[in-house]
Amino acid sequence: MSQIESLTSLERLLESFLDRAVELKEERLEVLEGINRLDDIARGFLAGDDLTEDVGGWFAEHNTWLKETVLKDADRNRIALILGEIKREIRVTEDSSPAINKISKEISRWSHTSTGSGSTIDGQTPALSKLDSKPPRLVLKRGAENVVPPLSMDMPRRSIKQTPEPVSNDTIAMFGTVLERTSNLFSDIKRDREHLLSVLDDSLKSAILQQNKDALLLSGFIIYYLKQNGYMVEPYVKRLKEAENMLNSATGSTDSAKRRS
Amino acid sequence: MLNPSEKAYCLALRAIRQKQYRAAIDYFDKAAPFFQENKEFGLLQETTRLLLAVRAEIAVLGNDDDIIVEEVFSDGKEAKFR
Repeated sequence: MSQIESLTSLERLLESFLDRAVELKEERLEVLEGINRLDDIARGFLAGDDLTEDVGGWFAEHNTWLKETVLKDADRNRIALILGEIKREIRVTEDSSPAINKISKEISRWSHTSTGSGSTIDGQTPALSKLDSKPPRLVLKRGAENVVPPLSMDMPRRSIKQTPEPVSNDTIAMFGTVLERTSNLFSDIKRDREHLLSVLDDSLKSAILQQNKDALLLSGFIIYYLKQNGYMVEPYVKRLKEAENMLNSATGSTDSAKRRS
Repeated sequence: MLNPSEKAYCLALRAIRQKQYRAAIDYFDKAAPFFQENKEFGLLQETTRLLLAVRAEIAVLGNDDDIIVEEVFSDGKEAKFR
């Protein structure tokens, strides 16, 4: 066999290997592409685009997912969250177009149909049940706090009224949202991992490379957990601080750009 | 949702499915920092790279004088000609 024949044979072998490898991942690839497409649509809605037709197209294309077992729990949660976002954005009213009404009904139908394992009392999975209900909105009201300053030699202990900060956001709800996102991120990262340290490594990479704040929080959480369980976490703490510094400097430059504009 | 690296991995697999191996390598390279320790990712990336190297060697040995002009698109934008 000549050299060129050997190489041609090797070429065919490699090509066949790649074809089969991708074929094995075909189903998963389709799911990821579908979720990715839905995510793009949701982002479009958030940007103010009317993508009602695109949502309709997405439902038409992926309706079979409801009857098949291609979706993992993490996929269902991701889809439920994205559909929830879309439903909030389309704001159905009496004057809404038939297309919007139909999409809204379709989202509700999706949420009802895809309830399976892990159903709650009302028959819906926790994540999917969010589609039909308005997002929980808790409002904290509090007066100015009395803060006791540290004791010093020349200053008598007294109560200081702190300048009340405008309570513009609901911190409990905001923290809940971050916790949920962080949990989803953990579900995504842990998929192919065999040890929590590998998950932490990925999470730190994500925090550094993508300047992902959720990944930073997740990394901190994992590091603290590992520390409590006797692991040596110093190298990871160092990386966490690097990621934090990068994020802070990125946020700082964004803020100053905003101020300039 | 999907982070840019996951998205690039996804696109790399799709490129392999369409036998666009050079585009696949570009996507693999984009995704590499995130998937550095993923053995499956490494295997697919290196196999694709090897396939391209084998093809280049075949072209040299076969004295292939044909010039293949192919447009390569990345994220819907023209990236380069080869």
